[in-house]
Amino acid sequence: MTTITIHINEKEYQVAPGKTILEVCRENDIEILTMCHLKGIMDVGACRLCLVEIEGVNRLLSACTTKVGANMIIRTDTERIKRYQRITTELFFAERNHVCSVCVANGKCELQQLGYKVGLDHIRYPFLYPQCEVDSSHPWYVMDHNRCIMCTRCVRVCNEVEGAHNWDVMNRGYQVRVISDFNTPWGESITCTSCGKCLHACPTGAIWPKAIVQGQLNKKPEIIEELMEKRAMKL
Amino acid sequence: MQKKKIATVWLGGCSGCHMSLLDIDERILDLVKLADIVKCPIVDGKELPEVDITLVEGSVTSDEHEREILHIRKQSKFVVALGDCAVMTNVTGMRNYFHLQDVIDTAYVNAISNDREGQLPDHPALLRLNDKVVPLQEVIKVDFVIPGCPPSADVIFYVLNEFLNDRVPDLSDVKKLRYG
Repeated sequence: MTTITIHINEKEYQVAPGKTILEVCRENDIEILTMCHLKGIMDVGACRLCLVEIEGVNRLLSACTTKVGANMIIRTDTERIKRYQRITTELFFAERNHVCSVCVANGKCELQQLGYKVGLDHIRYPFLYPQCEVDSSHPWYVMDHNRCIMCTRCVRVCNEVEGAHNWDVMNRGYQVRVISDFNTPWGESITCTSCGKCLHACPTGAIWPKAIVQGQLNKKPEIIEELMEKRAMKL
Repeated sequence: MQKKKIATVWLGGCSGCHMSLLDIDERILDLVKLADIVKCPIVDGKELPEVDITLVEGSVTSDEHEREILHIRKQSKFVVALGDCAVMTNVTGMRNYFHLQDVIDTAYVNAISNDREGQLPDHPALLRLNDKVVPLQEVIKVDFVIPGCPPSADVIFYVLNEFLNDRVPDLSDVKKLRYG
């Protein structure tokens, strides 16, 4: 097998071409923070947490969507990257209404974990406090837009894994929203199969089952990858 | 070594942070060896004297809180925002998505428990709610923050103990940092 040589954080690695920087880093225990990445579905580089420095490129690139190239010199741990990671995390918290203490995902939330990892103790930006809807029209599940960070993991899992494409994205900027069908109540969806994969893919408490109360949510995002592996074996 | 002075104040919060402060239990004896607690809602209601450290629970929700927090800043060498409400408004900020009048009406006039006879409170001695709830940092310079709803007793004790021994506490350790 042909391999290429790359450098990550001053260390040399021999890797197979065609892999993403994120894949290579994860294989070699180099920590890269991610939010929109989920094993089993396509990467879109939406959250901007996995940004890395590549020598000769004057802007930061997302590790999840950038493939390794021969002789690439990559840095994942510079002060500049850490600064951006902290800013990105703060903006996640400031954009919508994340009230951890009353959230179903409290203690099991990927956004909380991310905050702890980047050492976020307070948010330097003013909160926007937008009025966001809570769609509880589905018989079993709730979509709370207050807690959504627009990672679009639900959108991709619904489209790529379940094949239903109930979820999609509407508007831009701070008005951007995940929508069910053509922005109709989730309970009236003609495409949703109520499979619940979006719920497991969601990193926060934005999608959750009605039977759950504060802090009791238990998501299994890893089942998405398992599902895809099982399907590949059957083919 | 001269004893330091600590104050704790309760603004727009639920008092949960002060309950957590009490949960440091017998360790409070270690603290009072190093400092006097000169003002605290659990102790008394005296005017805030000049102090070394003030722990402030809750967010700024009214004209009275605004006056109080400015006074606290003037009197304290070090202001610590205690708990999620003081740091990022938390539950108290949930009324920010609505108009203030709707919020007041919901509580005092339209609530089912009011039996349709609810009236808006209007005594001159009462505080006047601000349109928006803001965290302490939007009104004053905050020197240190302890997030958490409530912050654990262990973290509160750790922070106070570090300050009183002239060390700067470090919450970046995952076990100490917590929200919700």
